[in-house]
Amino acid sequence: MAVTTEQVLTSAGGLPRIAQAIPAHAGQPEPAQAPQDLTSAAGLQRLLQLSSPILPVGAYSYSQGLEAAAEAGDVHDTESAGGWISGVLRHSVARLEAPILVRLLAAWSRDDEAAVAHWNERFVASRESAELRAETLQMGYSMRTLVQSLELPGAARLSRIAALSWPAAWSLAAQVWRVDPAQALTGYLWAWAENQVLAALKIVPLGQTDGQRLLLALSGPLAAAARTASELRDDELGAFTPRLALLSARHESQYSRLFRS
Amino acid sequence: MSIAPSATLSAWRAELSLDFERRGDRTVLARRQHDGPLLMQKALYPEGDGVCHAIVLHPPAGIAGGDDLRITATLDEGAHALLTTPGATRWYRSSGATARQVVHLHLAAGACLEWFPLENIVFGGALAESSVQVHLAPGARFIGWDVLCLGRRGSGDHFDTGRWRLDTRLHVGKAVHWMEAGTIEGAGDALVAAPALAGASVTGTFMAFAPDLTDAALRELKARCVAAVEPVGAGAGQGSVSGLPGLILGRYLGHSAHEARSFFIGLWQHVRPAFYGLPATEPRIWKT
Repeated sequence: MAVTTEQVLTSAGGLPRIAQAIPAHAGQPEPAQAPQDLTSAAGLQRLLQLSSPILPVGAYSYSQGLEAAAEAGDVHDTESAGGWISGVLRHSVARLEAPILVRLLAAWSRDDEAAVAHWNERFVASRESAELRAETLQMGYSMRTLVQSLELPGAARLSRIAALSWPAAWSLAAQVWRVDPAQALTGYLWAWAENQVLAALKIVPLGQTDGQRLLLALSGPLAAAARTASELRDDELGAFTPRLALLSARHESQYSRLFRS
Repeated sequence: MSIAPSATLSAWRAELSLDFERRGDRTVLARRQHDGPLLMQKALYPEGDGVCHAIVLHPPAGIAGGDDLRITATLDEGAHALLTTPGATRWYRSSGATARQVVHLHLAAGACLEWFPLENIVFGGALAESSVQVHLAPGARFIGWDVLCLGRRGSGDHFDTGRWRLDTRLHVGKAVHWMEAGTIEGAGDALVAAPALAGASVTGTFMAFAPDLTDAALRELKARCVAAVEPVGAGAGQGSVSGLPGLILGRYLGHSAHEARSFFIGLWQHVRPAFYGLPATEPRIWKT
């Protein structure tokens, strides 16, 4: 896609120009590929299930600092919400959570529990505030409960991790359901973005159509985040987002709030 | 200050290693080794025998591309030391080589360490890596901070090129309990992006880490620290406090290293009595 979301979000024309950023064929069905075999169709179904807002892990109750950013005035309309979300994506998720997910998916597929434990610990230790830490542990716990209830093969492996993070639990399910790792990364990032946009709809608040515009505008940054996540070396991995950390910490004592982070 | 040695011709390796031991009621500097331009001024006891104050000195005053500084402090069981520096650490513009400072702080059971270096000032064009690794045995308690100034606002030197990599970790045994690692590219948009630096030129992190502290004691201490956030203001900076398991984390974002330090000293005045049963009296060197 030639027009990046940054250009769209920062251009003088703002959001109306989003339409120009969408390729002409976007509304058309994709040209027919060779018929997909049953395995990849099943993999896509499982990915959609794992990326769905009805996955019972409570994601909808977390804004990951967006509510505090609205309270501070950083986020007040569609454009500033897009700027905030794409900023968190570029400076935090793409450089920490997503590359750790890539490593966790690979570790589960090798059945390398030591590597899973390492990257899980790294992610939990890297949470910048009490709320962000509590969020990933609660969602990891809920995902483990779901894996157990569905009697998926990896349940015992999840039980061996003491402080289980959301990406570690989610990646196990993606692996046992044979989701393609590159698609799993895209789906994971998509679910993250959708949850952020949903939070913005409630908090700012924004209209439903604005939410869809935001998701369209985030397509380029999400693809770029997936690329960054796949390319970063271990020694480049890590995020430094002090204002996100500061706002998230302030949210702990924010007077009025809808969200748990 | 300020005439930086050229990167390749005079890159310096320097190493300082300090061992503190508890002998009776006194913390003594049992061993000191240095190699290259990193020194420790003499051990001071401004608050009695229990706490050894030590000033770490880097006589060149600035770090140039290619320089490699290593500081290690090891505290034996029950020892208590407070380490600080007499001035800011300046990281000069580099012509290509990366400068490094690696700090390892090892605390044995029941040891107490306070690590209060003055701020890092990263010149535009500097290529630098700063690593602080804190290793705690059970019952050890650590308080420390890290203040970072990107560019020099007063001199019109902007951090619009260069790279700063930080890697701070709190280890308990073999596990990493908390960490922050990341890279700020001068040329990127991290300086202005809202979740990153949001236009601030100074940022700082305050860490008070006592894994043995009960959750109830930590909550109570955090509540008192949150009250200390409010006075931050003169430089229009902002502060926050979060309470993680065993850990109080303070954050500063603004334009003044002095303001950051004042905020962190305010937090320290709450934390120090709770951690060590000692009042927080500022070392005289901070007042000069």
